[in-house]
Amino acid sequence: MWYPLRKLGLLLLTAWAAITLNFLLPRLMPGTPADAAIAKLAQNGPVDPATRAAIEAQLGVPTGDVWSQYVQYLGNVSRLDFGVSYTFFPQSVSSLVLNALPWTLVMVGLVTIVAFVLGTLLGVLAAWKRGTWLDTLPTLGGTFTSAFPYFWTALLLVFFLGYTLKWFPTSGAYGLEATPNLSLAFIGDALGHAWLPAVTILVTSVGGWILGMRNNMINTLGDDYVTFAEANGLRTHTVAIKYAARNAILPNLTGFGLALGGVVGGSLLVEQVFNYPGVGYLLFNAVTNQDFPLMQALFLMITISILLANFLVDILYGLLDPRTRR
Amino acid sequence: MTALVNPPEPTGSTPPHQAARGAGPVLPKQHGPASPLRVLTRGASTIWSNKKARIGVVLLLAFVALAIFAPLIAPYGAGENGFGRNQSPSGSHWFGTTAAGEDVLSQVIFGARISVLVGFIAGFLSTLIAVVVGLSWGYIRGPLADVINFIVNLVLVIPGLPLMIVIAAYLQNGGMTMIIFVVVLTGWAYGARVLRSQTQSIRGRDFITAAQFAGDGAARIVFHEILPNMTSLITGSFFGAATSAVLAESGLSFLGIGDTTTVSWGSMLFWASNSNALLTGQWVLLFAPGLCIALIATSLTLINFGVDGLSNPRLREGTGR
Amino acid sequence: MSLLEVNNLSVIYEPRGAEPTYAVRNASFSLERGEFVGLVGESGSGKSTLGFAVTRLAKAPARISEGTILFDGRDIASMDEEELRKQRQGGFAMVLQSGMNALNPVRSIRKHFGDIFAAHDHVPTSKRLARAYDLVEKVELPRDVLDRFPGELSGGMRQRVSIALALSLEPQLMVFDEPTTALDVLVQHAVMGTIRELQKSENFTALLISHDLGVVLESTSRVMVMSEGVIVEDGTSQQILHAPQHEYTQMLLGHYADPRAEVVEVPGLVVRGLTISSTGLGSALDAVSPKTGEVTAAPSAPARRRPGRPEVAAIVVDDVTKVYPRPRRGSDPVTAVDHVSFTLDQGQSMALVGASGSGKSTIAKLITGVERPTSGTILFGETRVDTLRGKGLRGLRQEVQMVFQDPYSALNPLHTVEYALMRPVLNHTGLRGAAARTRVLELLDTVGLTPVEQFAAKLPHQLSGGQRQRVVIARALACDPQVIIADEPVSMLDVSLRAGVLALLDGLRVTFGVSMLYITHDLLSARLVTDQIMVLNQGRVVESGQTAQVLRFPQDPYTMELLEAIPQPHRAGAGR
Repeated sequence: MWYPLRKLGLLLLTAWAAITLNFLLPRLMPGTPADAAIAKLAQNGPVDPATRAAIEAQLGVPTGDVWSQYVQYLGNVSRLDFGVSYTFFPQSVSSLVLNALPWTLVMVGLVTIVAFVLGTLLGVLAAWKRGTWLDTLPTLGGTFTSAFPYFWTALLLVFFLGYTLKWFPTSGAYGLEATPNLSLAFIGDALGHAWLPAVTILVTSVGGWILGMRNNMINTLGDDYVTFAEANGLRTHTVAIKYAARNAILPNLTGFGLALGGVVGGSLLVEQVFNYPGVGYLLFNAVTNQDFPLMQALFLMITISILLANFLVDILYGLLDPRTRR
Repeated sequence: MTALVNPPEPTGSTPPHQAARGAGPVLPKQHGPASPLRVLTRGASTIWSNKKARIGVVLLLAFVALAIFAPLIAPYGAGENGFGRNQSPSGSHWFGTTAAGEDVLSQVIFGARISVLVGFIAGFLSTLIAVVVGLSWGYIRGPLADVINFIVNLVLVIPGLPLMIVIAAYLQNGGMTMIIFVVVLTGWAYGARVLRSQTQSIRGRDFITAAQFAGDGAARIVFHEILPNMTSLITGSFFGAATSAVLAESGLSFLGIGDTTTVSWGSMLFWASNSNALLTGQWVLLFAPGLCIALIATSLTLINFGVDGLSNPRLREGTGR
Repeated sequence: MSLLEVNNLSVIYEPRGAEPTYAVRNASFSLERGEFVGLVGESGSGKSTLGFAVTRLAKAPARISEGTILFDGRDIASMDEEELRKQRQGGFAMVLQSGMNALNPVRSIRKHFGDIFAAHDHVPTSKRLARAYDLVEKVELPRDVLDRFPGELSGGMRQRVSIALALSLEPQLMVFDEPTTALDVLVQHAVMGTIRELQKSENFTALLISHDLGVVLESTSRVMVMSEGVIVEDGTSQQILHAPQHEYTQMLLGHYADPRAEVVEVPGLVVRGLTISSTGLGSALDAVSPKTGEVTAAPSAPARRRPGRPEVAAIVVDDVTKVYPRPRRGSDPVTAVDHVSFTLDQGQSMALVGASGSGKSTIAKLITGVERPTSGTILFGETRVDTLRGKGLRGLRQEVQMVFQDPYSALNPLHTVEYALMRPVLNHTGLRGAAARTRVLELLDTVGLTPVEQFAAKLPHQLSGGQRQRVVIARALACDPQVIIADEPVSMLDVSLRAGVLALLDGLRVTFGVSMLYITHDLLSARLVTDQIMVLNQGRVVESGQTAQVLRFPQDPYTMELLEAIPQPHRAGAGR
C-alpha cells in the first residue's frame, strides 16, 4: 500500500482507539463518576431527564446496555457534542474547548517547532565538533535544562522576569481590558503575553532535541557513506549536512513524534502557572471542579491533535526518506 | 537467500531524556573469566570511565543518602509547623519558612524521599513491564505481535500527563500509590519498544537458532540467551523511566493531584504557588525544590550517557572526528 | 620518482581503556605509476589499516606513530584539511570494503556524482551530466542508474557505483579495500573483471587489498603479503606464485587448488583423487525413486553404517517447492525452491552449491523444520518433516543438527563453551550431572580442543574463529545425530583455518557414520568433503551427480560459470 495511505489508515485506527479508550476509562474506574457529576450539576439547578441520560451515556452507569451507550457516544463525538460543562454552566463543552484550543495550538505548536529546529541544529553542531566546547556546552546545558520541571521554569521566569524585573506580563493571554480581535494592537498585546510561556517551553524542551540529535549524528558520522564522502573529498559542510545530518534527522523525526506528548503535557503545566487560557488551564479547572464532560472532551481533543501532528511528521518522514517510497 | 526487505523501521527514535539507539553491538568486549560479577564490574567501570556519568553517579548517591538519612540531617521534622509564617532565610531557618510555618530546608531534605522512592519504584516497575512486553513481543511472530505493536504505539502517542491527570481525577484522593500507578501505566511503552527492536536483532542471530536445535524452549531462550545480552539497554531503560517518573510525580504533585499533605518537592511548589510565594518574594522556597528535581533528573540522564556507551561504542567519550 | 613512497610506517591503535597495539609495524614500500599491486593478509593482519593510512583516512583510535608517506613527492601528513581535500581529486581515492553501505541512502546516485563535481570543480558544469553517463557506462551500469537511490540497487551495482564515483575523481592512485568481499561469487568475479579493465584503460595506479591471494594474483603484477602488521614478502606475482620465500606466503598458497583437477589436495585434508567411472552419469540422484525413497546407487565412498539405525535413506526430499510471499508491495512472490527432489543416504555427504539466492539455505531450513515447504514432502526415516511441530520437531533435532556459517554469531558471547555444549546434552541425551559433564569434555576432545578442561571454561571471545567453529561442530554432535547440515561452515574463516575444520567434518562422517549436507558456494571445499553434488540455480537443480564427475566434466553452463568464477592463482598476470 502507498505509504501516506497506510499512515492515514493508521491515524484513523489510532483515533478510533483513543475515542474508545475515552469511552471506557470512566467505566473501568471504581465508583460512578456519573452520579458525582449529576450531583455536582444539581447544585446549579434541577437536572432534566435528557441531560441525565446524556451524562450517563458519557460517563457510564453501572447497569445498562454498554453497546447502545457506545453507539450513542460515537454519534455524539462525531457531532462534537460533548454535553454541557458543570463549571461554566450553561456553556457547552465544545464551545469552551474550541475557544481554548487556538491559544494552545498556536503558542505550543510554534514554540515546539522552533525548539525542534534549534535543538536539531545545536545537536548537529555538537556532534560535528565533538569534544570541543561547542559540544560540551549544549550537551551539558541541554541535559540540565531538559531536567527542569516545566512548571518550575515557568515559576522562575514569572518570579524574576515578571514580578522582579517587570519585563513581561505574568498572567493571561492578553490584557484584562482587551477583547480578542484581529487588530494589530491586540496581536501585539497577545504576543507580549505569549513571550514568557513560550520561552519556558523552549528552554525546557530544547535540550531533549539537542541530546537526541547529537546521538544520532554521532552514529551516522561513523557510517560508511560518511567515510566514503570524506574519501571523495566532498566539501566539509556537504559531508556534515547532506550526508551525516540528513540521515541523522530521520530517527530524530520519529523521536519528535513520540516526544510531542511530553511537550504538550509540560505545556499544560506552563499554562497553569501563567493562567494562559489554553486547553491546559481549562483541563486543570475541569479536574479541580470534577467537571468530567469537559475533562473528557479536552483529553480527547489533546490526543487527537497529537495524533494529527504525528501523522504530519510521518508524512514528512516519507518525503525525506526515499526508502518509504518502495 | 533472498533477503525479505523490511520497510525501514525507525528504530532509532530518540525521545529527549532517553537517547539510546537500539542497534549496535550488544556487548563490549570483555576479558577474563565469565562471572556475572565480572560482567557487572566491567559495565560499572565503563560507566565510570565516562566523566559525565561519574558526575551523575555521585549526584544520585548524594540524593539517595539525603533520602535515607533525612531524619538525621534535617534540622526539624517535615511537618513541624510551629514556626513563624513566610519568614525569610535566617540562622535558625536557612531557607526560611513556608506560609504554614514549616521549615523549608527540612521539607527539601525530606522531599528527597518521595522523589527517590517514586523514581526507583516507578522506574523499576515500568522497566519490568517493558522487559516482559519487549522481549516476548520481539520473540514472537505473527498477528499477536501486530496487536502488541498497535497497543504500544497507542500508549506512546497518547499524551502521558493529561492521561495521568484524567485517571487521577477519576480515581480521586489516591496517594502516592495512585501516582506511581499512573506513572507506570504511561511509562513502560518506550522501553518496550527499544527492547523489542534489540530482541528482534538478537533473535536473528545464529546462537538463537542453535539454542532451538539444542532443544531449549522459548522461555529458556528468551531469559537465558536473549535477556543477558540486553543488560545495558535495560539499565538505560530503567534510568530513562526513572527520570520520567521523577518529573511526572513532581508535575502531578504540583497540580495538587494526589495527597497534598505528603511533603514532596512538587507539593512544596504547589503550596508555594498557592500561597503566593511569588508575591511575598520568597525565592528560596521556589528555587530550592525545583532545583532538586532538576538535579536528580539530571543525575539520572548523566548516568545514561555512560550506559549508552555500553551498548553503543560509538557513543563512548572521545573526540570522534 | 615513485607515485607513492611509504617509509618505515607504523600505525598504532590506542583504544580507551585498553592496551595500545601496533596494527602496522615498520612498513616500507613504494608504488610506481601505472602499477597494479596487491596487498594480501588474513583478518587482523593490518592490511586495511595500512590502506586507510596511505589515503589519510585513519581515524582515532588509530594513529600513525612513525614513518612518512610521500605521495607524488609530498608528505601527506603535512597537508592541512583543505589541501588534503583538494588532493583527493587527481590524487588518491579509495573504494571501501563495505561498498554496499558506502552510498548515502537518502541521496540519488545523480546527486552523489553532483556532490563530487561540485566539491572539486574539475569538470565544467555543462559537461558534468555527460561525464556521469560516461562513468556509469565504464562500470557497466545502465544510464538510468543515476536516477535511482542506493536502496534500489543490488550489492554488486552499489559497489560498481562506488567505483565509478572514485573514478570520477580522476585519481592517480586507487586503493581498493576488499572491493568484492561482501558480494556473491559470480558478482565478485564480474566486478573484479571490471576493475582490471578499468585499471588498464584508465591507467591509474592501483592497490588491491584482499584476504584472497587467488583474487590478487589473478589481477596484479606485484604482490605484498602482510602478516601480523608486518609486510613479510614483496615480489612480482610470478615470483610469489612460483617461488614464494616466506613460509606464511607458502602456507597461503598451499590452500589453493583447482576443484577441476583430477587430484585435489590441501594441507591437512585427505586427498580425494576419485576415479571417475565411465558410468558416472548414473548418479545416485537419478536413481532415486521418489515415492519409496529407495536408492539404487550406492555412495562412492561408503561410510560405516551405524549400528541400530534403520537401513533407510537418511533424508528423502520429494518434489519440494517453497514460495515466499511478496517481499514488498508491488513485487512478485519469490520461488526460493522449485520442485527439488533428492535423497541423502546414511553416511553420505552431499554438497548443495549455488550462488546466493539459489535456494540452498532455504533447503536447509526446510529439512530442519525451521520452515515448511509450500508443496512436496520431506521424509526423515519414517517421519514426515514438513508437518512436524512442537515435540516432534524437538525429536527431529536429536537426529538432524546444524553447523552455522558465522562462528562469531553462532555462540552466545555470554556463555562458556561448557554451557553451550551442556544444553543439547541435557536436553537430548538424558545424561545428568557428572555423566553430562564427561560427555561435554568428550565432545571437546572429539573436535580437537584440548586440554578439554581449559576450553570448557572459555568464553567465545577467547577463542579464534576456527576454535569457535569447532565448538559449534561439537555442539551439533552432542546428541549423536544422524544428519549434520553444514551451512557454509568455513566461508567466514581465514584460509589457513579452513582445511582443519573441513578435515574435522570429513573425519566425523567417516568415524561416526553421520550423513552430511554441505551447503556452499565454494566448489573447492565441496570437492574436498563430499561424494555427491547438486548445483542449484534460482531454486532449481541444474546439475547433480558425483562431485568429482560434475566438477571435472560440468554439463550445465551455470556450473561452468561457477567454476570459472573461482580465483586461480595460476592465472597470475594473465593477459598482461
